[in-house]
Amino acid sequence: MIDATLIPWILAGVPLLGAALSPALWSQPHRLMAWSVGVCAVSLATVVGFAGSLTTPPEGLLLLFLLPLTAGVSLLGQPHHPDHRASWVLTLIFLSLGLGALTSQPVIGKLFLMAIHGFVIVLLYRHHTELWPISWWGLGAYTLGALCLVLTLVGAPPLSSMAALLACTILLPVVPFHDGHLTALTRLPGNLPSFMVLLFPALGLHSLTPLAATLPEPVVWMMSFLALAGTVYGAIKALAQSRVRLLLAYSSLSLFSMLWWCVVTSRSATPRAALFVGAVGLVMCGLLIAWQIIRTRYGDDVDPQAISGLASTMPQYAVLLSLLALAAMGLPPFGVFAGFMGLLLSSTAAFSAGIVVLVSAWLAASWYILGLVQGLLFGARRTDLRHADLLQTELVSLIILVLTLLALGVMPISFFGPDRATPPAGANSGSLAWNR
Amino acid sequence: MSFVLLIPLFLLAAALIVLIGPDDTRDLRAKIAAYPIGAACCGAIGTLSVVAMQGPISIRFYDPGSVASLVFPIGFYIDRLSAVMMTLIAGVSTLIFVYSTGYMYQDRHVRRYLALICFTDFVLICMVSSANLMMLFLFWQILSYLLYLLAHNHEHPATLKGAFNTFTLLRVADAAFLAGIVLAYHVYGTLEFQELFARATERPVVLSFWPGLDISAATAVTLLIFIGAMGKSAQFPLHFWLPRSLYAPTPVHALLHAGIINAGGFLINRLAPLFGLSSTTLHVAFAVGTLTAILGATMMLAQNDIKKTLGFSTIGQMGYMIMECGLGAFSLAVFHLIAHGLFKATVFLNCGNVIHKARQEPHVPHADPQEEEENFSPLAWSTGFVTTLVIPLVILLVTHGVLRIPLLESQGTVIFLFFIWLTSSQAILTLTRLRAIASWKVSSAMLLTLLFIVFVYLFAVESFTAFLYPDQAEVASYFQAADLPNWMFDGIVLMATIMTILSWCYLYMQAHGRTIWMPQWVSRWVQGGRNGLYVLFMNRLYADELYQLLGRTVMRIVHRFDKRERGWSR
Repeated sequence: MIDATLIPWILAGVPLLGAALSPALWSQPHRLMAWSVGVCAVSLATVVGFAGSLTTPPEGLLLLFLLPLTAGVSLLGQPHHPDHRASWVLTLIFLSLGLGALTSQPVIGKLFLMAIHGFVIVLLYRHHTELWPISWWGLGAYTLGALCLVLTLVGAPPLSSMAALLACTILLPVVPFHDGHLTALTRLPGNLPSFMVLLFPALGLHSLTPLAATLPEPVVWMMSFLALAGTVYGAIKALAQSRVRLLLAYSSLSLFSMLWWCVVTSRSATPRAALFVGAVGLVMCGLLIAWQIIRTRYGDDVDPQAISGLASTMPQYAVLLSLLALAAMGLPPFGVFAGFMGLLLSSTAAFSAGIVVLVSAWLAASWYILGLVQGLLFGARRTDLRHADLLQTELVSLIILVLTLLALGVMPISFFGPDRATPPAGANSGSLAWNR
Repeated sequence: MSFVLLIPLFLLAAALIVLIGPDDTRDLRAKIAAYPIGAACCGAIGTLSVVAMQGPISIRFYDPGSVASLVFPIGFYIDRLSAVMMTLIAGVSTLIFVYSTGYMYQDRHVRRYLALICFTDFVLICMVSSANLMMLFLFWQILSYLLYLLAHNHEHPATLKGAFNTFTLLRVADAAFLAGIVLAYHVYGTLEFQELFARATERPVVLSFWPGLDISAATAVTLLIFIGAMGKSAQFPLHFWLPRSLYAPTPVHALLHAGIINAGGFLINRLAPLFGLSSTTLHVAFAVGTLTAILGATMMLAQNDIKKTLGFSTIGQMGYMIMECGLGAFSLAVFHLIAHGLFKATVFLNCGNVIHKARQEPHVPHADPQEEEENFSPLAWSTGFVTTLVIPLVILLVTHGVLRIPLLESQGTVIFLFFIWLTSSQAILTLTRLRAIASWKVSSAMLLTLLFIVFVYLFAVESFTAFLYPDQAEVASYFQAADLPNWMFDGIVLMATIMTILSWCYLYMQAHGRTIWMPQWVSRWVQGGRNGLYVLFMNRLYADELYQLLGRTVMRIVHRFDKRERGWSR
C-alpha cells in the first residue's frame, strides 16, 4: 500500500519522467510524438489507478481524469513536424505540474501553480512579436497571477484571500482579467493552446472551490457583476471575430464567465461545475484541433470564409466538426448542455435577471459557432483547392473528444463525485421574489 | 409494456440500415429500411390500442426523486395523447419514407437524406413520449438542428441562408423554453409532468417582479414555454423561418408540415393542466393564434408560388390550432393538427405533380375570367347564400339541442362555431366564384355534403375529446380558464357575423357588376389601400427584409463595439 502523501508526487512524476526521457527521441519526431501520447496514456492509467486513494475534492475528480486525456488528444491532433517537438515536451511538463497542483496539499499546490505561471510567462515572452503588442497584457496578467500566488503564501487574511481570488480570475477567465486567457489561446505554440484551454480553467476552479464558501457579500456582488459582464462581453466579441482562435477564446471566456456567476451566487463548486469546465475545455480543445487541421492544410493565415464546401470534400472532418459544433452550441446530448443545465437547475440563487443573461449568451453561441462551422463546411465547393481528409491520428483525436463529450453528457453526475446539490429554495416556499 | 421501446428503436435501426453499408447496395438498403419503419407504425397503432384499454404506460430509466439524474433523464410516459401523436408521426413517416426513396432516387446525398428522415422520426417519437419536461426539451432542441440539416442542399446559397435563419430563430424560441424549464424547476422543484401539475395546482406561487407587479408562477412558466411553442409552430412574429425553409426537398415539407410543426400544439396539450392554471397565457395564446391565422391566411392568398402558398396556409392553420388552445379546446387542437397533418402531407406530396402538370399545360392552373363571367349562375349564388347565412343557425340550434354541447356556458365553442361559419363561408364563396353550378342536383349535393361534414366533424370532435380527456370536469375547467371578458366575446361574435355578411354582400354586388357609391376620394383611397395591402401581403409583410435589417443592425452594433473596445480584434 502506497502512502497517500506520495500519490500526488507519483501522478506528477509520470509525465515529468516522460518529458525528461524525451530528448532521447528528439531526432525522430514520429517516435517522440508516439512517446508523448503513450506517456499521457500511462498518466491517465495512473490517475485511474490511484483515484480511489485520493481525497475527493468538492468538485469531484472529473478534471483529474480529463487532464491527461486532453493532453494526449491535443498531441494526437498535431502534425508530425520537427518545429512542434518543444510544445509536445512542454505539454508533458504542464500535465505533470497540473496533476500536481490538483492533487497536492494547498501550499505545494500553489508552488506547482507558480511553476506553471513561470513557464507560461517565459513561453509568451519568447513568442511575443511586435505585430501583437497587445500580448503584453497577457504577459502582465500571468505575472500578476504569479505575484498573487506569492501573496497567498506569504500574506495574511484578508490580503491572501483577495490575492487567491485574483489568481483564480486569471486562471478561470473573467473580465477584466481575461487577457492572459486570450494570449495563451492565440500566442502559445503548437498544441499548447488546445491543452491550456482546459488546464488553466480546471486549475482555476480547483483553487476557487475552497474560496467560494467564504466570500463576503460585497465580493460576491462584485464577482456576480463581473461574471455577467464577462458573459455578455465574451459573446459580443465572439460575434464580431473573423479569426477562429480569437472567436474560440472569446467564446470560452463567455462560457467560463457563466460558471463564475453560478459558483459565486451559490457559493459552492459542485461536480456539475467541474462537468461544465471539463466539457467546455474539451469542446474548445476539439475546435482548436479542428482549426489546426485546416491550418496544416491551407496555411497559417487562411481565412475561414475563403474555404467552403468541406462537407463534400472532407466528409470525416465535416461530421466530426459538426458534432463538436453541436456540443459547443450547448445542444444535447453533449457535456456542455449537461453541465449548463446542471448549473442552472442546481443553482441555489433565485430565478433572476442573471439567468436571463446566461440563457441569452447560450443563445448567442448558436449564432457565432454555427456561422463559423457553416462557412467552412457548406456553401460552394472550392475545386481549385486540393483537399485531403483526416489523417488517422487526427481522426482518432477528434473521435475521442466527441465520444468523451457524449459520455459527459449522458453519464449521471454522481459518477464524477458526490452530488451535494439541494432542491431549489422555491420548491418549498409559497412565494418568490424576482431577484433583480 | 417494454415493447413500446421498440418503436423508436425501429426508427433508429432504419437510419442505421440506410447509413451503413457499401454504395452499391444503397437502393436495396433503402427498401429494407422501409420495413422497420412500417413495423414502428404498426407498433404505434398497437400502443394506441393498449393505452386506450389499459391506461398510460410509464417506463423510467432513472430515479425521479433524484436531483442527480436530471441531466439526461430518459423515460417514457405514453398516455392517449402520446399514443395518438406516435401513430400520426409513424404513419406519416412511413408514407414519406417510401415516397422519398423514389423521389430522391438520383440525388447524390440520398443516403444522408434518408437517414436524417429516419432520425427525425426517431426524435419526434421520443419527444412525444417523453416522461418529463427535460427529456422533451432535449429532443425539442435536436429537432431544431435537424431542421437545419434537412434543408439538404447546403451548396445552394439561398437554401443555406434559409437553414441558418431557421436554426437561429428556433433557438430564440428554445432559449425562452429553457428559461421556462429553469423557472418551473426553481418554483416547483420537479420536471416530472404529473408531479409538476400536482404541485402547481396545490401550491400557487406568486412571483414579484417589481413592487406592485406580481405574476403567478404558472403564468410566468407557461408564457415562457408558450414562446418555445410559438417558434416550432411558426406563430407570428416567429413564423419567418417556415417560408424560408421552402427550398428543402418536397418530402421534407410533408414531414415538416405534417409532423414537426405540430410540436407546439403537442407541447401545449402535454402541459394542458399547467396552461389551464393561467388565464393570462391562454388569452395571449388566443391573441397570437388569431393574429397568425389571419395573417397566414391573408398572405397565402397573395402568394404566387405553390410551395409558399402551402407554407402560409400551414402558418394560418397553426394559428388556428393555437387559437383553439387559447380558447381552452386542447383536444380540438390535437384533432385539428391530425386532420391538417394528413391533409397537408397529401397536398405536399402531390404538389410536385401539379408543378409538373403546370409546366406541360399552359392553362393550368389559371382560370379564364371571361369564361367564369359568362357562366354566372343565380342558382349557385342562392346555394351559397343559404349555406352562408342559414345553415350556421341550424348548426347552432342542433349543436345546442341534439348534441347537448353547452353553448351558453362555453364561450370557446361558440367562437369555434362562428369561425366554422366564417371559414365555410369563405370556402363556399370561393367555390361559387370559381365554378358555375347551374344544377339543383349539384347545389343539393353541395348543401348536404356541407351539412354532413359539419355534423360528422362535430361528432368526431366530441368523441375525440372524450377519448383524449375522459374527465369532463377537466375539459370544462379549461374552457372556464379561457373565458374571455364579456365585451370581448360579444365583440368577436359580432365582428365575425358582420364580416361574413359584408363579404357576402360585397362579392354578390361585384359579381353583378354593381358598386357601392362613395365619394371619389374615398374610392381612390380604398383602391390605393387595397393595392397597397396586396403588395404588402404578397411581400409577406416585408418580414424577411425586417429580419435581415435586424440582423445587420445587431452586427453593426457588435462590430462598432468591437472596434471601440481595446483588444485583440484589431
